[in-house]
Amino acid sequence: MKHFETHNYKSNFVLEQGQYSYVYIRNFEIPPLEEIADHDAVVIEVKNLDFVRLIVNAVRSNLDPDIYLTPIFLLKKDVLDDVPYIEELVDGSIKSLDDLGFVNKEIDKINIRKNSLNITSSVSFEAQVITKLIALMYVRELKVLNPIPDKYSNLYYSFPFMAINFEEKEEHLALKILNLAEEEGMLRSEYFDRVYLCSSCSGSHMSYREVCPKCSSSNTTPDDIIHHFPCGYVGPMKDFSNEIDDKLDCPKCNKRLRHIGVDYDKPSVIHHCNNCSHNFQDYNVNAKCMSCHTDRSVETLKAHDIKTYRLTKKGELAAIKGFTSTSKDIEDVVGTVKYDTFKTMLKYEIERLKQTLGDSNLCAIHIGNSSQVYSKLGSELQRGVFKDLVSVIRSNIRSSDVIAFWSSSTIVVSMNDIPHKIALRITGEMVELLSELIKSSFDDLEVNFETKTVALDYRKPHEMQLRELLAEFD
Amino acid sequence: MEGILDSYMRFLATLTPAYFFELFWFYFVFEFIRYFFLEFIVLNLYKIKSWTQRDKKEDARRRLFLENPLVSILIPGKNEGKHLYKLANSLSEQTYKNIEIIVVDDGSDDETPIIGRSLEKAGLIDTFIRNELRGGKASAANCALRFAKGKYIIHLDADCSYDNDAMEKILIPFFMDNRVGGVGGNVSVRNYNESLVTTLQGIEYFNTITTGRTVTSYLGIYRIISGAFGAFRADVLDQLKGWDIGPGLDGDITVKIRKKGYKIAFAEDANCLTSVPNTFKKLIKQRLRWDKSLVRFRMRKHRDILIPNQSFKFSNFISAFENITYNVLLNFKWYVYLGIMLTYYRPLFLNIFITNILLYTTTNYVKFVVYSLYRPKAHVSMSYFLVYLPCMVLYYGMYLRAVRTVAYLQEFFFKKSYQDPWNPRKTSIHGEYLGI
Ligand SMILES: [Zn+2]
Ligand SMILES: [Zn+2]
Ligand SMILES: [Zn+2]
Repeated sequence: MKHFETHNYKSNFVLEQGQYSYVYIRNFEIPPLEEIADHDAVVIEVKNLDFVRLIVNAVRSNLDPDIYLTPIFLLKKDVLDDVPYIEELVDGSIKSLDDLGFVNKEIDKINIRKNSLNITSSVSFEAQVITKLIALMYVRELKVLNPIPDKYSNLYYSFPFMAINFEEKEEHLALKILNLAEEEGMLRSEYFDRVYLCSSCSGSHMSYREVCPKCSSSNTTPDDIIHHFPCGYVGPMKDFSNEIDDKLDCPKCNKRLRHIGVDYDKPSVIHHCNNCSHNFQDYNVNAKCMSCHTDRSVETLKAHDIKTYRLTKKGELAAIKGFTSTSKDIEDVVGTVKYDTFKTMLKYEIERLKQTLGDSNLCAIHIGNSSQVYSKLGSELQRGVFKDLVSVIRSNIRSSDVIAFWSSSTIVVSMNDIPHKIALRITGEMVELLSELIKSSFDDLEVNFETKTVALDYRKPHEMQLRELLAEFD
Repeated sequence: MEGILDSYMRFLATLTPAYFFELFWFYFVFEFIRYFFLEFIVLNLYKIKSWTQRDKKEDARRRLFLENPLVSILIPGKNEGKHLYKLANSLSEQTYKNIEIIVVDDGSDDETPIIGRSLEKAGLIDTFIRNELRGGKASAANCALRFAKGKYIIHLDADCSYDNDAMEKILIPFFMDNRVGGVGGNVSVRNYNESLVTTLQGIEYFNTITTGRTVTSYLGIYRIISGAFGAFRADVLDQLKGWDIGPGLDGDITVKIRKKGYKIAFAEDANCLTSVPNTFKKLIKQRLRWDKSLVRFRMRKHRDILIPNQSFKFSNFISAFENITYNVLLNFKWYVYLGIMLTYYRPLFLNIFITNILLYTTTNYVKFVVYSLYRPKAHVSMSYFLVYLPCMVLYYGMYLRAVRTVAYLQEFFFKKSYQDPWNPRKTSIHGEYLGI
């Protein structure tokens, strides 16, 4: 047994070779998944593809980055067809355990990149899915996220790295999140294909039928129209059929039809509706959704573009720094306005200052160690912290002042019509209150608040003043 | 010039009634009696009849709207797409509402299929049938007929326009007399002021259709329901299984309805405007086709009408007889007259010629002015035509006569109508073989 000379089975699932330890999965036995975090890679022996899919899915859909980022290799002793869906989710395959040495380099590379990541917990499901995606892409140096044709998918295409997070019925949400990630600048997309989904339930299992344009019944019968030249009679073929043989006889002049093109021809086809007896040539095409049973014209189907995605520089940085929340998440926090709205209001304030020559201020509060903080907090807590921060700030400023999130770690606040000195003092007080709040809520959480408060200068454009204010927090 | 006038005055002085008749019998017998005197009497009788029947007509109208039968409007044609939107739109303005519109595109090679399909989608047309292979006008009409569901069928041409009460008016005769199988509408010229030739046709249509058909209809010998505007009982067309191969299918179907024992009526107040050929050359083409079909259908296909047998009907006989006499025979009789005059009255020929022109022109003026009084409502002020009336002698007496002569000869001796590209060759070859 050559294996025993080079490999060392630590337990039923663990295999060691040199300094590497692998979780080795075979014979339909599933190890406790949390064990995977303590090893360098997972090796799955391929005997049954459904089983492989199950395992790969379980690993990649786990929420612990130490598990879902672990390299996976397939051990294929026999020649098997590749399943693109599975191939996309794994890092390579080997023919026998002797070949493990060849993949160690790959394992090192992945694990080095993995260790450089600063995984934070995310505020929302969307942010969480995006975090996983960009982390997986970054770690595996996956340049392009390709849609894979998949007849089991509700979208006809799968992005395996997205699909792992969704039930089959909710796969269309994957597209939404990919679009969101693109809006955030993490991904750059290119058109690949278009799919049409049910407008009610986003299902894709449709039955397409030709239906009557008057009553939408699919109970229609097509028939050739025949023109008999000698007498000029025109009618559907059934007018010409007789009961005795399968020859055609003209109902007008009783002559037998002989030769197409000589004594008759078929100028067109007509459809007869057996439900409302309407005759028509241009039928509608309806799509009946097999999931929710709606039956509508294909024109009502919703088109979804399927794209290929590339990780952008910003996406890579976000993967490393940790991605906490999408702009949608922070816009939703009670008591804040959208960042865009904040900018507009600032512009008006500057206009006002030109007239009144009053004193107004702009303040930024930044959490210096946000990735550290957020990775310690769960997403629910994090949302709570956002809310608490905002309510503390709100209670220290006038009701006419506004608050907005610039990013998940930076809040901007307007402080209008007060001298700069007072604004500085209020900012200081706010930070004290915020620190106290954190201290009273969490035992061992150190939050570094950094602030900057500037007096508004009505001679400078509002965007420039914001840029200067936020430069050091980027 | 003075010499001519002088000689003419002297010629007039010699005219006694007997001599006048000897020289101008052609005018007197054929033109004056048939087209003026007889028509004038009938027009008066017609006016009296319509006055006495006005309650009956109102009652018929009431019953039409009470029964409110579905009426199928058939619009067959090739390359008519450009007219379809306007027509469908105007049909939706009709006072009679229970209609279905069936358009058959007979192998158009322009945008007709796209236009028709989109009008069908928009609901302005109920059924649009596109036939990829052209089959000719009759086949397109038959195709529309086959899918029509109405109790009455109205056949229209896409390039015509209709008064908004035209459908109502053309249906009323069915409710006045249940033996009526078909009704013709009144067709006038829309582009009468486009050119001289259209103006002359405007006058011609007024004479032969508005007046002529009122008269023949009163006499029970009305013989052509215009394809541009005709209404039929659906059960009658079903018995006939629709139209036969043209050209001249309008006249043909009218004869066939008559043969089945139904009456044909003319609805003088159901107005349709049509565009007529705007050059003399185009008009020749159209008339050659029409005139050939007269020979083909009257004298060949339906000659049995003239032969007494079980199905013989006097009014049908008269209808065909009158048609043949006053068109075909008269046409050749005129050449006889011309020959006699040239042979025996040669020195007087110029004077005879001038007198004939004066006679016809005077008659035309009197007719035109007098008959205008009988016209129910006009789209044009009649005075527009007055200056053009002198041209009618040449238009009618020379130009149309020459065309007619050529057409009759071509059809008599060469059966030219079977070569007319108006029908696809694949169908006319059968028509020729069957002698129809
Ligand atoms: Zn139907
Ligand atoms: Zn036949
Ligand atoms: Zn559905």
